[in-house]
Amino acid sequence: MSLILGYVATLLVTFFTYNIFVIGLNIQFGYTGILNFTVITFMAFGAYFYAVFVMPHADNASQVFYILGLHWPWPLAMLAGIVASGALGYLIGLIALKRLRSDYLAIVTLATGTLVYGLFGNNNKLFDGWSGLFNVNQPFQSVATNHPNEFSWIFVIFSGLIMLVVWLFANRLYASPLGRSMRAIREDQDVVDSFGKNSFKIRMLAMVIGSVIVGIGGVLTIQYIGALSPAGWTTGETFVVWAALLVGGRANNLGAILGSLLVAVIFNEATRYIPQVPSHPNLIPNLRNVIIGSLVILSIWFRPQGVLPEKKASFLEVPLVDKYAQGFPGEEPDSALSPAGSEA
Amino acid sequence: MTIFLLNVGFGLVTASVLSLLSVGLSLQFGVTNFVNFAYGSYLGVGMMLAYTFSQTLHFPFWAAAALGTIGTGVVSMVIAEGVLEPFVRRRKSLFYMLIVTFGLSLVLDNLLQIFYGVDFFQYPVAQSSPVTIGPFSFTSAQLAIIAIAVVAMIGVHLLLSRTRLGKAMRAMSDNMDLARSSGIDTKNVTRWTWFLSGCLAGLGGIVLALNIVSFQTNSGETLLFVIFAAVILGGIGQTYGAMLGALVIGMVTEISTSFISSAYKQDIAFIVLVLMLLLRPQGLIAAKGKA
Repeated sequence: MSLILGYVATLLVTFFTYNIFVIGLNIQFGYTGILNFTVITFMAFGAYFYAVFVMPHADNASQVFYILGLHWPWPLAMLAGIVASGALGYLIGLIALKRLRSDYLAIVTLATGTLVYGLFGNNNKLFDGWSGLFNVNQPFQSVATNHPNEFSWIFVIFSGLIMLVVWLFANRLYASPLGRSMRAIREDQDVVDSFGKNSFKIRMLAMVIGSVIVGIGGVLTIQYIGALSPAGWTTGETFVVWAALLVGGRANNLGAILGSLLVAVIFNEATRYIPQVPSHPNLIPNLRNVIIGSLVILSIWFRPQGVLPEKKASFLEVPLVDKYAQGFPGEEPDSALSPAGSEA
Repeated sequence: MTIFLLNVGFGLVTASVLSLLSVGLSLQFGVTNFVNFAYGSYLGVGMMLAYTFSQTLHFPFWAAAALGTIGTGVVSMVIAEGVLEPFVRRRKSLFYMLIVTFGLSLVLDNLLQIFYGVDFFQYPVAQSSPVTIGPFSFTSAQLAIIAIAVVAMIGVHLLLSRTRLGKAMRAMSDNMDLARSSGIDTKNVTRWTWFLSGCLAGLGGIVLALNIVSFQTNSGETLLFVIFAAVILGGIGQTYGAMLGALVIGMVTEISTSFISSAYKQDIAFIVLVLMLLLRPQGLIAAKGKA
């Protein structure tokens, strides 16, 4: 029983963290139309920086090397991880957001992802190279001492609360004037520019907010697992987030939640129990990636708006009444939009 | 100094590999006007097709390389006809085209891994001792790579300047609607462009594999952004610009190894890409309306 409880807790935490990733990408892509092809790098940034801020100084005798090792309390380290992720988003934005074509940003994000992956993996002085960081200090360890599940369930509540805050924030943002500007940029940036909006600033805000949110998810991931290595953030992981957003419905946060439930939790977890083929140990993960990639393509073909499409904006419209408009006798004077006197 | 000159020689080899790849990407971008993020996977297709033809089917290596090149072209054409062009015909926005090609890269990479696994492969080409030419030193494979690239670049130049297909491609790259209304069969030209782009990607993949000697299915994948750097440097969609960009990026990345560890040479390409985007995003040879 306790095994099942622990498993359910892990599923819930996975669900919550993926929700956060998908909402972060939703603000970037769904709201603003920013193509971030390396979502998972931001997750890794958040996680790694949380780790090096919270862990004690690297002990050279153990042959595990990492930078900093400041041993800060976990809430502060959490903040550091989130800031690091946001800063990466800001830097990428500085390089690529001024360009008109969205291809450039996509190229820069992809290049950054490849670069960071190689740099963090090959350089074992930064974040311990390919073996990655482990024994990362987890929060709530002083209270959750009785049973491993106790930590898991405290963490379910913790990550659930954070997800809720992120969710409320994302919805608030969607309805705000800033969110409307973001969606307007997605539809036609030139129009937004011509209305005097600083579209570069708005896109940058979306980029940074999205990166910060993905960073929060990254911090939660490493807090729960206590370890992360480059194998945990390959390009395939970015696709899981993309697939979840596209399947669920872009620009709809409920869709984001549904998508992460369907793709990240149900599909990814279900395929874990397919028995391995001994001669091809990578067959199942490879097949999973093929399916995720096809899912992305097929969802754009069949239902680009997702299972739960974005709600059509409804504005409070004051009916235009033209008091000079004169209809013919017996005709409803409803032609409010026609120029006055045209019918006279 | 000798090491510096040696690296210049290696820069020439890398530039040759890159020139094939960046011209292939650039040609396709010019005509279809969207970036193909699955291009890195086409390199793997070329490498592995050539490997299959030479190792499993026992063709002589040059024939296997030729078949691998053409085979990648066919794969590229089939993917374009079967997957990408339907999306274009539905007038999907640029966003979606990019996501589709991005998704395609994941599918192709993993299909290659399913078929070939994650082992390292090697072509059955005898490793000769390096030949010294002046201050440079090349293996015979590297000399062959340079020769192939030079021939291919001359071929692309002749195609673009002397043939109807090449002129049609340039016309479509300049103005799609005008090209269509002047009676160019744009569908057919697009098809051949994808074929040609795939051939260059496959050939580039094969010579890349020859250069690095032992390769995996995804060895071309990390090169994708170096190709992008070369293409953007030259001016996106500009074929001759792509050749120039490849030369610059190839030289810069290899010469940088005289000063810093060769593990970081791709990072140099990234720095060049960033500088270019900040200072001259339209590229060395600017194209109107493309940036």
